[in-house]
Amino acid sequence: MSPGEHVDESDLHGFVDGELDAENRRRIEDHLHNHAEDAALVEGWRRQNAALRAAFAQTVKEPLPSGLRTASVTSLTRSFGSGVNWARFSPSKGASLRAMRRSDTSRRPPRRPAIVMSLVTLLAGAVVAGAALLAFTGPASPPAAPQRVVIEPPGLLAHAQLAYQTYAQDMRPVEIGADHKAELSTWLGERVGFARLPDLSAAGLELVGGRLVPGVLAPAGLLIYRSAASGPAALYFERAGGERPPAAPPKTAPGLAAVEWRAAGFAFVLIGPLAAEVARAASESAAAQAIR
Amino acid sequence: MGQAEDFEETLERLTPGLRRYARALLCGAANDLADELVQTALQTTADEARHDAPGAVLDIRVDLYASLTHAAQRRLRSAAPHRPSLRQPAIMHRLADLPFEERETLLLVALEGFTYEEVARIARTDRPVALMRLMRARSALTALDRHPSPGADAGRRSGPHLRVVK
Repeated sequence: MSPGEHVDESDLHGFVDGELDAENRRRIEDHLHNHAEDAALVEGWRRQNAALRAAFAQTVKEPLPSGLRTASVTSLTRSFGSGVNWARFSPSKGASLRAMRRSDTSRRPPRRPAIVMSLVTLLAGAVVAGAALLAFTGPASPPAAPQRVVIEPPGLLAHAQLAYQTYAQDMRPVEIGADHKAELSTWLGERVGFARLPDLSAAGLELVGGRLVPGVLAPAGLLIYRSAASGPAALYFERAGGERPPAAPPKTAPGLAAVEWRAAGFAFVLIGPLAAEVARAASESAAAQAIR
Repeated sequence: MGQAEDFEETLERLTPGLRRYARALLCGAANDLADELVQTALQTTADEARHDAPGAVLDIRVDLYASLTHAAQRRLRSAAPHRPSLRQPAIMHRLADLPFEERETLLLVALEGFTYEEVARIARTDRPVALMRLMRARSALTALDRHPSPGADAGRRSGPHLRVVK
């Protein structure tokens, strides 16, 4: 290529975008030296590039919402079941939680020792559970698809459970009943950002209604479902993101099963006194409907 | 097993950039939708990679961005156009004025640093078409630079003072 050869606009773009080899780069540099107008074009495009990068520079620095962090994990295993977190309380630790709840409900003043004691027991339980988790996942996992054990922050499950315990058994469990679905959906859509009301009838759960509840970081939604076979169940959801990495494996109160997952940028918890397979079916159904 | 682990880590490493691209593609106007698209793309790419024979994935990054681009295109076809809010920088407003294909091409080159060849593969077209789109996008932005629309102008003026605190 001779130095005097014609330079067209695509060469200038190629120059800005690093598409040219060394020889052509030199050719364009020479050209720009003698053609101020083209040099101004190139300079303008570079400024555009810089403005674009600056406008979105913050995005890459933001912590990834955990919904996206787990997405790459759950997706490898396809079914939601494997990305889902099973938390079932073992009997040995049930006592300490019961104790905590007792100390919570009876409003006697000297509560601190009880709380400290139950925290200590919880911590011990967490260590045992952690060790068990390691023991189980260590040698057993290799044959399966790559799958990281996703341990959720305790805050979310604790919130969902508290919301469940507060409202599900209450005289007035929901603010808006299932007979006003449109209104309920709009309300939760506006406040929580998630407007869908998953139909879990396939798992034997019938929607009673829902309400707004305080979440870990933002307003959360709580949908209550009635079950013919057991007590009521609840689907809790809150916009995912920003939670700290969990300190301990999740746990639920005795008799309660909880399934936790993330989809569409939201964290979901299905909680209730459900049999394992019912909870699993219901959460898979809800998860599928959440991303449709 | 080891390879699969690498693959998963690759996806994780690419996610922040993919997220930036998704947001830019939606002109910073629908970050929730952007994250949803990112998740869809991650899922699709992971699924495809799992079904393909090992080693069939030539370039995960191209596949990932292609998957996101097509998901975005599908979604934007059925949805009302997203307009950036006035507090967004002027460049977002100018991006929003571009046709989807030109915006996609400009962002892939300028923001994500893909080669023209890769952009053509992502956009399912050839290099000359990709280059043409890039040239049109840049000249449209330059023209808008000279004659900014009122919205872009207001955005520019309020830009430095207002900041979305998250």
